[in-house]
Amino acid sequence: MNYDIYSHFPVLAVMLYFVGAFIVTLIGKRRTARNIVAGAVMLISLALLLALVGPVMLDGEIITYWMGDWEPAAGYAIGIAIEVDALSLFFGLLAAIAVALAGFYSFKYITQDDANGPFFTLFLMLSGGVMGILLSGDLFNIYVMLEVMTFAAVGLTAFRTWNPNAREAAFKYLVVGSIGSSCILLGIALVYAQCHTLNLAQISAILPGNLNPTTILAFALLFAGFGCKSFMFPFQPIAADAHGAAPSSVSVLISGVFTKTGVYGIIRVSYFLFRTMGLTSIQTMVVFIGCLSMFVCVTMALNQHDFKRLLAFHSISQIGYILTALGLCTGIGIAGGLYHAINHTLFKGLLFLVAGSVLYGTGTTYLEKLGGLARKMPQTAALFMIGALSISGIPPFNGFASKWMIYQATFEKAAETGSIGYALVTVVCVVTSVLTLASFVKVGQSVFFGQLPLEYENVRETPLSMRIPMWIMAALCVITGLFPEQMIQYVIGPASAAVLNVPAYIDSAMGAGYAALTMADYSYLAEPVISFIGFWDPVSWLVLFAIVMCAITLASLMGKRSRGAVTLADDERHAVFFGGEAAEYSHVAGADLFWGFKHNLRGYLGFMSRAHSGVTNDYVIWGVCALAVITAYCFIFI
Amino acid sequence: MMLANYIGAVALFVIGFYAMMVKHNIIQIVIGMGLTDYGLNLMIVSIGFNEGGTAPIYTFGELTSGMYFVDPIPQALTLTSIVIGACVTAMAMALCIRLYKEYGTLDARDIRRLHG
Repeated sequence: MNYDIYSHFPVLAVMLYFVGAFIVTLIGKRRTARNIVAGAVMLISLALLLALVGPVMLDGEIITYWMGDWEPAAGYAIGIAIEVDALSLFFGLLAAIAVALAGFYSFKYITQDDANGPFFTLFLMLSGGVMGILLSGDLFNIYVMLEVMTFAAVGLTAFRTWNPNAREAAFKYLVVGSIGSSCILLGIALVYAQCHTLNLAQISAILPGNLNPTTILAFALLFAGFGCKSFMFPFQPIAADAHGAAPSSVSVLISGVFTKTGVYGIIRVSYFLFRTMGLTSIQTMVVFIGCLSMFVCVTMALNQHDFKRLLAFHSISQIGYILTALGLCTGIGIAGGLYHAINHTLFKGLLFLVAGSVLYGTGTTYLEKLGGLARKMPQTAALFMIGALSISGIPPFNGFASKWMIYQATFEKAAETGSIGYALVTVVCVVTSVLTLASFVKVGQSVFFGQLPLEYENVRETPLSMRIPMWIMAALCVITGLFPEQMIQYVIGPASAAVLNVPAYIDSAMGAGYAALTMADYSYLAEPVISFIGFWDPVSWLVLFAIVMCAITLASLMGKRSRGAVTLADDERHAVFFGGEAAEYSHVAGADLFWGFKHNLRGYLGFMSRAHSGVTNDYVIWGVCALAVITAYCFIFI
Repeated sequence: MMLANYIGAVALFVIGFYAMMVKHNIIQIVIGMGLTDYGLNLMIVSIGFNEGGTAPIYTFGELTSGMYFVDPIPQALTLTSIVIGACVTAMAMALCIRLYKEYGTLDARDIRRLHG
């Protein structure tokens, strides 16, 4: 079969977003025309990437496109390449789906904003930048696209003129993000000084096995830089600020897509360019950073009073899972990490959209002010439940499938290496999952259940055009959870095989046989085998879940108690302390739900809360310290 | 001669980071970001420099294998990087103006509504 026609698809998918951004600016204030252009661009790009699934995912083809037809000459890549293997396509598809759903949600959502003309320009530029990073085969192109993406994201963070915190969040984001960008650019310069090429495939052939102090420094810089873009541990405060201030549909992109480019960059750098992931020391470092991100962010989330800020910390906590799994460097670890990447985009996107709907309906995301919205917004509440159960890893939803694989991967790694550390990693993963559930119980209790405050009596259900994207995301959450075997066979399997199959990536760009000529050692870092231990059947879980739900519904319908009114028994014992008046119902505030737990951990929680001081300089110091520690670690242990 | 360039580049880079870490005035933080950028640009141009090389501008007929010229790619990269750096500075300055209007101060220690 001839694949020539497909080679133009990736570059078109990237270009369309930028062309769309330009046209949207020309259209200006005409809302319908603008929506049609933006919607068409997002759908066509998604369709172009879906068309690539056949050749790339199923047939294992790697599509290389040389801009201007400058093909490599005499073993040197002189042109700029766009190279799409299963890994790029995997992240690209994920991005395109999230962009399309968030975009369709925004049509209605941003009508509340005063300056909604430029919104889609920035939105499409952000999408185009992300797509450019994911599909590019050239290191400097990745940097340029990264900057385009960061600009658009900063612009969108500062976008809400009526949000008093937006400019502050955008400024911090720009300053701390510039550390990451500078690191990446310096790393690229050092790599160029060593290899005299910027092509990813050619660097992957030349660099591994030739590690000297310059390349080790370059690795540390690139790792820290992409880590900054994925908001891993010391960079998490800016993520929380940015999510809290940005419109919800943009939070979907920042959390679901923007952070994924960081994860994608870390995979490319440590599995392809330097192949350092085979070293035990680097595995330890990545797993350690992943665990720290996971645990610190989930405990920070327990402290939060703002719906979106809480979700932001959970988002980074889930990125911690992905990094941990990828750092294990085993077949099932990589597969579990990539699976969790899909799930993270879906459930986190769903939860951010729910938060956006709550904001759209009530005008606030402050947890203590909300309550009882399930009566007014039943569908939104149901969608929230699906998202919350997915992120907490409750079967049969998708979070369970990927978390199960990550637990198994860490545990097998512990058995394989005989180190107690990896067993502790499993424990941290499970504890984090429990704390995530606890935190979402708190959110559900304080937003959707309990008593409805008087000022929200007139709140209406979310408009249909906003509910449809949310229901699609919820459906995807359930589908990816119900059919893990099919997911692994058709999506995760090819992508995780591509992570390990570096020679194929090199040969596709540089011509067959190039890898065998230049690379000293091109064996796989790990066997790409995915085997499950234990047996679990998501469909029977779904049946059980449905039965339990039916039983609860029946029980609550049979009960005589009228809905909404809460009657309290007269408590004679305490009557003496009051004046004998009737006891009043009071809503248990979300912050009080885990009072005892928080009280016992007040030292730690207070310390963390004070550490996130909000001063830009402090966050910069954290970032630079992380860079210094990573660099020192790499020099000592590589 | 190149050693001086590298030392200068690293010095600019470090001074930039120092300003971002220590200076509380947000304008000074933005200047720090700019200095980091200049250090990087100097570094990239120096990487492409060859002692005694000529400018890499030739027509097709002139180019022979014995020619000795500086590497043109880092120069192209530097141009791109300078443009991006200018954009970053402009955007950061715009945000500084808005921050000053909203908070009435340029001190980073007072611009901390989002914390904890």
